[in-house]
Amino acid sequence: MSTQLPITNPPLVCWNCHERTIGTHFCPGCGKLLQLPQGSDYFAMFELPRKLWIEMDALEQKFLQLSWKLHPDNFVSATEQEREISLKRSSELNDAYRTLRDPIARVEYLLAIEGMRKNGENKQQAPPELLEEVFELNESLDELREAKAEGSDTASLRQRLEAAEKSFGEKLNEVDGALQSKAQEWDDAIDAGANVADRGKIMAQLNELLNRRSYIRNLVVNVQKELL
Amino acid sequence: MGKIVGIDLGTTNSLVAYVDAQTGEPRCIPGPSGSTLCPSVVSIDPDGSIIVGEPARRRLLIQPERSIYSVKRLMGRGPSDVQSELKLFPFRIDPASRNVIRVQLGDKVFTPPEISSFILRELKNWAESYFGETVDRAVITVPAYFNDAQRQATKDAGKLAGLEVLRLVNEPTAAALAYGLHEKRRGKVAVYDLGGGTFDISVLKLISTGEGDIYQVLSTNGDTHLGGDDIDNLLQAFVHEQILQHDQIDFSPHGELAQELRKVLIEIKHQLSETTTATLRFPLPNGNVFVREFTRGALEALIRPVVERTMAPVKQALADAQLKPSELDEVVLVGGTTRTPLIRRTVQEFFDRKPHTELNPDEVVALGAAVQANILDQGVKDMLLLDVTPLSLGIETYGGAVAKVIPRNSTIPASAQELYTTGVDNQTGIDIHVLQGERELAKDCRSLARFTLRVPPAPAGLPRIEVKFLIDANGILQVAAKDLRTGEQHTIEVQPSYGLNDADIERMLEESIEYAEQDFAERQVIEARTEAELILSATAKALANPQAAQLPVTERQKVDASVATLQEAVKGSDYKLIRRQIDELNRATEHLAEVLMSSAVQTALEGKKLAEV
Repeated sequence: MSTQLPITNPPLVCWNCHERTIGTHFCPGCGKLLQLPQGSDYFAMFELPRKLWIEMDALEQKFLQLSWKLHPDNFVSATEQEREISLKRSSELNDAYRTLRDPIARVEYLLAIEGMRKNGENKQQAPPELLEEVFELNESLDELREAKAEGSDTASLRQRLEAAEKSFGEKLNEVDGALQSKAQEWDDAIDAGANVADRGKIMAQLNELLNRRSYIRNLVVNVQKELL
Repeated sequence: MGKIVGIDLGTTNSLVAYVDAQTGEPRCIPGPSGSTLCPSVVSIDPDGSIIVGEPARRRLLIQPERSIYSVKRLMGRGPSDVQSELKLFPFRIDPASRNVIRVQLGDKVFTPPEISSFILRELKNWAESYFGETVDRAVITVPAYFNDAQRQATKDAGKLAGLEVLRLVNEPTAAALAYGLHEKRRGKVAVYDLGGGTFDISVLKLISTGEGDIYQVLSTNGDTHLGGDDIDNLLQAFVHEQILQHDQIDFSPHGELAQELRKVLIEIKHQLSETTTATLRFPLPNGNVFVREFTRGALEALIRPVVERTMAPVKQALADAQLKPSELDEVVLVGGTTRTPLIRRTVQEFFDRKPHTELNPDEVVALGAAVQANILDQGVKDMLLLDVTPLSLGIETYGGAVAKVIPRNSTIPASAQELYTTGVDNQTGIDIHVLQGERELAKDCRSLARFTLRVPPAPAGLPRIEVKFLIDANGILQVAAKDLRTGEQHTIEVQPSYGLNDADIERMLEESIEYAEQDFAERQVIEARTEAELILSATAKALANPQAAQLPVTERQKVDASVATLQEAVKGSDYKLIRRQIDELNRATEHLAEVLMSSAVQTALEGKKLAEV
């Protein structure tokens, strides 16, 4: 694997003993569970660089290891404040693991913390070259709904939609493939220490792929729903 | 600080367990009768005292209007949710119920959490007299598929019973904990839990790490209104229909006779798990006895729809865990209803693997709760549970759609932040509607809470309010808001859509003190009276039967005299005397019972012959 970027968490002051500390989880001075430092993110939480390829087994190991330390079960008889911190820290850990484990959510999150995409934004972008096909698909969907409502025969319509579902399913795979190689490009750029402009370009492309994926995925889901 | 216990608050039975400090093994605590099962039945005496468990179950037969079973079905639900239940269960809902159901028991009304708190208090008493020490903290189990309101209601019940609820644990997870500890197995495990009223399926990964064992739930699914009760309802409806056709008797579905029939049918159901045929003999008010032979095959044909309803959640849970049935290492059966052979076969066929049934399916959940209670009491030492939220959390958006912010099967605690702003100048409030469920429209999801974010007047779009939704380790929602411009934290008063608010709980806590500590002798008197009333009413019914005329006059006089002395004893409060008179009446009516039974069976058989001719 490539070299790890150094992780630098901003120093903070322990809420309990008021010492300045660089601890990640527990204060080296008094041993109390620390708040997550300001500006920390999911990658930093797992001591990972902001790269898109993640070794899953290592991620899981780290998740389980941190769960032992941060889970509220450890703090049932601790002070109210420590219980609060544990609840916050372990929910953030779980949110981080849920996000990083999912390759799509991971890209969305990276773009969000890099300021390229609004958190939770789900912009669907119709790919221009697909417009004709999408138009036909929507027509078939309308016809199927009508046929269902009238109770008439839907066999041939279903066949057409099944073919469309397959075709869009393949396009979804294509987008996933494109996302994967673009992600690889991002990781290479990080390793090479690429400048802001170059990184920005890759992120814009990733963002476009995400929007395209979201649009196609939505189509596939709609067709599947009608075919049920 | 007092002792800590684990409690399985079940639809049909409830249990309390603890971890033995010497052996480290979890054990269930027996009640006064020696059984570890406390029937989840509550009865209110005319004098206002509260009867729980086996004595209350007996009262179900003589005072159904003062007694309630399966109250778990009502937890965290609104009056409009339970309309379908009312056809099947003898719940008398106070018509004045608004967002919280109130149940009529005799001349009093109670909320479901209050009724559940009576059961919890009884179990607390069992544990306290077992330890000779106070018990003040508990881990209580809930169906994994319980929503926020149902969980909150369970937590409220614990509080009303004088218990600090350290954690709500999902029932299948608790079972996996007890199972894993017992069998020392690792790998991917499916827990199929079909109880009296609820069905859960959970898929877990049991992992050994350097620090200890982790029980990680991968996915869960279920149905909070599917269980053995539904089988009993089917059986009861079937036999009602037969009796109506055969004897033209159409008894009220919730009366005393219906309760008696239900009790007998449950015994038949249990028997058919052991043998392939069982005979129902049920004396009717017209003097006839309804006799019918049941085969296991006939029962299975009747209950197959119930068993099949469990399979969709099973498939969904596996899909969510991204596993095929063959990829599981073990399958564990939990809940009394899984004793049914049809269920064992169905599960075995689906997973192509013999399910584990080594642990007592009635006790395993309580044992797991005790293990978790011990972990919380000692701090995590060598075991950690990582559970999930069963339902997606969503926020209503424009047009009544739902935006999911925390997906189902997220490990808890879990959180999500949403940013809100205003749409018009000087808008002072933003309405937020929180929901739980998988459907796309708000009207199809479960409403958890509505609240209004207060915003200082400003031009539209300028305010920036960050709302944090957090599901804690109990699966219960917390909401906090922060004004990003001022850094000010808002506390949000979340008014639950279906549940008690803090004022309700305070009031109930005050009221509960009235009911709290009945002393031992008082309870003995109540229980003895209950039993006396049961036998007195049974005797009166028997004497009214035309066949009773066959009884010799001297014996009839003896029975009448015993009845009179018992009636006299019941007026007093000497429970030993009441018990003695009960025994005496029992002896005096032995012959009467024989006479009635043999003549009744004869008539039934004759009737059958005539019909066959």
